[in-house]
Parts: sequence; C-alpha cells; structure tokens
Amino acid sequence: MFQNLRLSMAWLHTWFGLVLGFVLMVVFFFGALSVFDREIDRWAIPSSRFEAQPMPSFDKVLKPVFETMQPSAQRIDRLRDKVNGPVPTHFTTPTRWGAYTTHRDPVLGMFVGYEVPNAKEPETLIFASRTIDPRSGVSLPDDQLKIGSGFFYPLHYSLTFYWKNLGYWIVGLSALIMLAALVSGVIMHRKLFRELFTFRPKKNKQRSLLDLHNLTGVVALPFHFFFALTGLVIFAGIYFPITHTQLEPLHELHEELDAEETGLPHKRAGVPAPIGSVDAMVVEAQRRWAEKGMAGDVGFLAVQHVGDANSYVSIYRAGTDRIALTGEGIHFKASTGEVLREDPPSSAVDSVNEFLTGLHLQHFRHWLLRWLYVLGGLAGCVCIATGFLFFVEKRKRQHAKQGSQGARVVDALAVTTVTGMVVAALGILIANRLLPESMATGWPQRQAMERYIFWGVWALAMVHAFWRSAPVAQGRLNPAWREQCLAIAGLAIVAVMLNWVTTGGHLLRTLSASYWPVAGVDLFMLAGAGVALSAARKLKQRAQRVSAVQPNSSGPAHA
Amino acid sequence: MPDSLTLVIAFILTVAGMGWFALALEAHWAQVYGDATCPPALQRRLRWLGGLALLGSLMLCLAVDHATMAALVWFMTLTASAMIVAFTLSWRARWLAVLLPGVRVGLN
Repeated sequence: MFQNLRLSMAWLHTWFGLVLGFVLMVVFFFGALSVFDREIDRWAIPSSRFEAQPMPSFDKVLKPVFETMQPSAQRIDRLRDKVNGPVPTHFTTPTRWGAYTTHRDPVLGMFVGYEVPNAKEPETLIFASRTIDPRSGVSLPDDQLKIGSGFFYPLHYSLTFYWKNLGYWIVGLSALIMLAALVSGVIMHRKLFRELFTFRPKKNKQRSLLDLHNLTGVVALPFHFFFALTGLVIFAGIYFPITHTQLEPLHELHEELDAEETGLPHKRAGVPAPIGSVDAMVVEAQRRWAEKGMAGDVGFLAVQHVGDANSYVSIYRAGTDRIALTGEGIHFKASTGEVLREDPPSSAVDSVNEFLTGLHLQHFRHWLLRWLYVLGGLAGCVCIATGFLFFVEKRKRQHAKQGSQGARVVDALAVTTVTGMVVAALGILIANRLLPESMATGWPQRQAMERYIFWGVWALAMVHAFWRSAPVAQGRLNPAWREQCLAIAGLAIVAVMLNWVTTGGHLLRTLSASYWPVAGVDLFMLAGAGVALSAARKLKQRAQRVSAVQPNSSGPAHA
Repeated sequence: MPDSLTLVIAFILTVAGMGWFALALEAHWAQVYGDATCPPALQRRLRWLGGLALLGSLMLCLAVDHATMAALVWFMTLTASAMIVAFTLSWRARWLAVLLPGVRVGLN
C-alpha cells in the first residue's frame, strides 16, 4: 500500500492524529487544569477559601454527618430500572461510610453507600455524598459545583459523557491511538536528536509549525508516553471489565477467600452493634505509622458494614510524601477497636501499579513537579494544535485551487478546540461568579446552569469559527483565530475582575496574604490573557502582511 | 541546604547540561559563535559536560525526594530545560555563550 514504513507511519500519524486529536486536545487541556483542580474549586466556592485541613474528629464531626446523609433525588431516580417494585425514598442500611482528604483540601468530601432493598443485582449500592467544612462540621450546599475537581477533572477522563460509559471509552481509545501516534511520530522524524532543540520561528510557516510540533512532542515525550499509558492503567477495570464478565463466577469466591485471608468480614453478621471510638483507632494507627518511621496524616477513612457486629474501620495514611495515593492501611473491629489487620508492605506488582496510577493522579506534595506537569500538559496542547495547523497549512492552497472545503472544515474545528475550549472554560468561571446563590424555581439547578453555560459558550465558539471560515477556502487565514484570542483576553480579565467584585478577593489581598490557591488562579488567567493578546497582535500583523504581499506557497513537505 | 535551593541548583544544572548538548551540535554552535567551527575535541568535551551536568542534577533530585518522586522531577526538569534551551536558541542564541566563558564570541 505504501512505498516504505515512513510513509505508512505518516499516513497513520496524520489521519488518526487528526480525528482523535480533537479529543486529545480536551484531555490535555483539562488534564493540565486538573493539576490544580482543588485550587480552582476554592476560586469557584468562596466559602471554601481557607487553609487545607487535616481529617477532623470522627466521633465529634464525621459521625453525626454520616448519619444524616441520604442519596439525592436524581440518584434515586436513576435507580428506577434496577429495582423490583417501588424505589425506596429513604435508605437505612449503610454498607460503607468514607471520607477522603489530601494536603490541598480545605473542605472534606464524604460519601455513604447504602444497600438497595429488592435490587435486581445483589450488590447494588446507592451513594450519597456531601461536602463539609471540617472545622465546624457544617455542610456546604449540595448545589455548588466544584469546577476543578467536579467538572474540569471529569471532563479530562470522561468528557462528562456518561451514557453507557461512552466518554471513558472515547478517551481510552484516544490514549491508545496517542501511543501509536507517538511511536509513528518518532519513526517519521528524521532528525530526532540533531533537531531536538530546533525551533525556527522566522522560517516559513509550515517549517516553524513543524519545528514547534516536533519540539513539544519530543522533549515532553516521556511525559506524553507515561501519561497516556498510566491513564489507561487507571481505568483498566473499565477497559477490561473481566471481573464482571468472564470471571464473574469467580468474583464472589475471590471476595470470600480474600475475606478469609485478611480476617476482614465479607458480609454483615445481621447482629446490630454500636461503633466504638474511631478517634482512638486513629490515634493507634498514627502511633503504628510513627513506630515504622512513617508518621503521617489520615488520608482515607472508611467504615464497612456500618452498625453491624461485623463492622470494621479502615484507616489509610495520606500519601503526601510519596507517589502512591494512600497506604499503610490498618483495620480495626468497629465495636471494640481491636486491630484486625495491618496491611503488609505492597507486593512488587502492587507497588508498580501504585506508582503508575499515583504519578498520574498526583496527590503528593511537590509544587515544582505540579507546575512541571502543567507544562507537560500545555506542551501536549501546543503539539496537537500545531499538528492541526500544519495539516491545514499544507493543504489549504491546494484545496483552494480544487474548490475543496476540507482544510476549511479542519481549520474551523481547530479554532473550536483550541481557542473555543479556552473561551468555554472562562465562560463557566464567569457564570460561576454571576449566577445567583440558588436559581429561581423553574430553572435548572445552579450547578447544572454552570455546565450548560460552558457547553453553550463552546457551541457559540464553534458557530463563530465556522461562520468566519470562508477565507480558508481561498487559502487565507480564518479571522476567528484572532477574534477568539481577543475574546480569551477579555473574558480572562472579566473573570479576575468578577472574583474581586463578588468576593473581595482581589490580587493585592490574596497575594499579600500569600493565599496562593486563589491568587494563582487569577494570575494564571491574567498570564493567559497576555499570551492571547500577543497572539492576536501577531495574527493581525500576519494578516496585514499577507494582504500586502500576494502569498506564494513554499516550504518542505513532510507528513 | 533547603530543599527548594537544591532543586533550583538541579534545575540550573539541567538547563546548562542541555545547553552544552546543544552547543555540541554544529547548527546550534553556529547560531551562538557564527562561522567558527567547533573543534572536535571540544565537541566531545561538551557532550561529557552535558552528561555530567544531568547526572549531577539527578543526584540532587535524589537527595531531596524519595527516589520514585525524584525520578519524575528529574524527567520533567529535562523537558522544561530542553524547551528553555530551544527557545533561547530561537530568539537569544548568543546568550548560550555564557555556558563557555573561555570561548570568545565570534565576530559576525
């Protein structure tokens, strides 16, 4: 089919990259933002703007909250076809209580999994979740969107497209194809080492685009490779759902054997028993960690089979100083506080898995590494964006001669996914500052409105990109690029100003108090505004130059 | 020495190391020193210097963090440093002459 390996690799790289590049752009950009998801949460929920807190007292703070938590109406609604007979409205048998925190969380996320009576599948659970201020135990309103961890982050791995888990599959397929694109890209690249440091902005447009594409692809290659790979590893359970397909018959047996081996009860005994002091268990767990030279805070705390004689409490150490998320689990009998089991050191396979997932999920404390991850993610965005632009530049004059609309469509889609996506992200932050505390009756919930505005703004950016795309069909530049750059600059400044007006948390104040989570989000947006403005200026100069001089096509052909 | 300072030194070392690697390439040498070609012996020495600088930086990263985290910090520092060197070569190539104080900047 192709004359040689390099040409076949070029075909694969070009077309697979083009189709899935649009998805990867979203994954990279919102992945880069998710590095600071909890900081974006604080920006979006002003009542959570205080210092990060350790896990609060279970006996005094957490237990009373857990006991009042009930699933939301939407969750109950989704249960309708999973139950024989009427769906209960109140749930009484909690299977699991849990709370997870990291060194970056001021507020605490809690969840309860309830048994569902008359469920068609035996192990069906329904979850309730709540966010509290751990200093007082007061709940935050449920109708507040954590834009970082509750929207940008899920967007990164699932596109928030949950129907039949399709979003996860699209992202997973894109990650797989990205690995192929990396390999084919390396094979196509003739001078990987000789041109490692090469970016020639003054050469012709195709050459400089390709330079930048190669540079951001090659120097961040370890990042690109490991993040695509570890992303797949994290969701391996979704992509290879063998425990609930081929191995389903063994699943139950495995759980029983596991329970036998660990001594942690697999099922409820059916005998009610009160829960002892979990605070005392936390003290014991911390004493044991300190004894091993690993003094630390509680990262994850869970109670299994709540209220039953078989109930046990699991306490995990926060992985602040290591790559693994949590570890050193110690399990106590809930009624007596007796230690049932101390998790042994991880096996080699577990350690590798913990390292691979932990390096991607990054709950550790290392600010330099966090920023380097942002750089890696943004380098990925530049790599994909220059890939699109190179595709268009290479074809648009030829397409113009042939009267083909191909380059025009790809260019408009590129505007949508490059600048349009940033416009939408700023749109949701602005909506977050402008919408009322709770929506009037007849309107969707506030957090739903914020998400609708995000998608609405993005759709508008797409309409704009296509509406202005006619010049591309004549081999010229789409003015939407420059206009959306200006929009980004304007919206970023508006978002920062709105943060000031609605919360009083302007930069002078947050910076002088060294409140970096909020100051950082503001500064990042202002830096983005600066980049967008200078890009708009360059695009204007280029447009003027092109209209002054008749364009002549030139440049190397490659890919 | 505070950890942050150690990491800053590690970062500077990788930037210098990447810079020395770049100078060992003819095209970039010409960008910095003009037409004067780089003697082969110096080219070899530049590669050695670059390698040693990266190794030194890895040692410093290991001194600050657990090995698993240090490896990630070091790899990502390499990425950032290569970008810094590449963009310096694009716009301010002569600045790299600071890495070889003994060599006089060419005349053109």
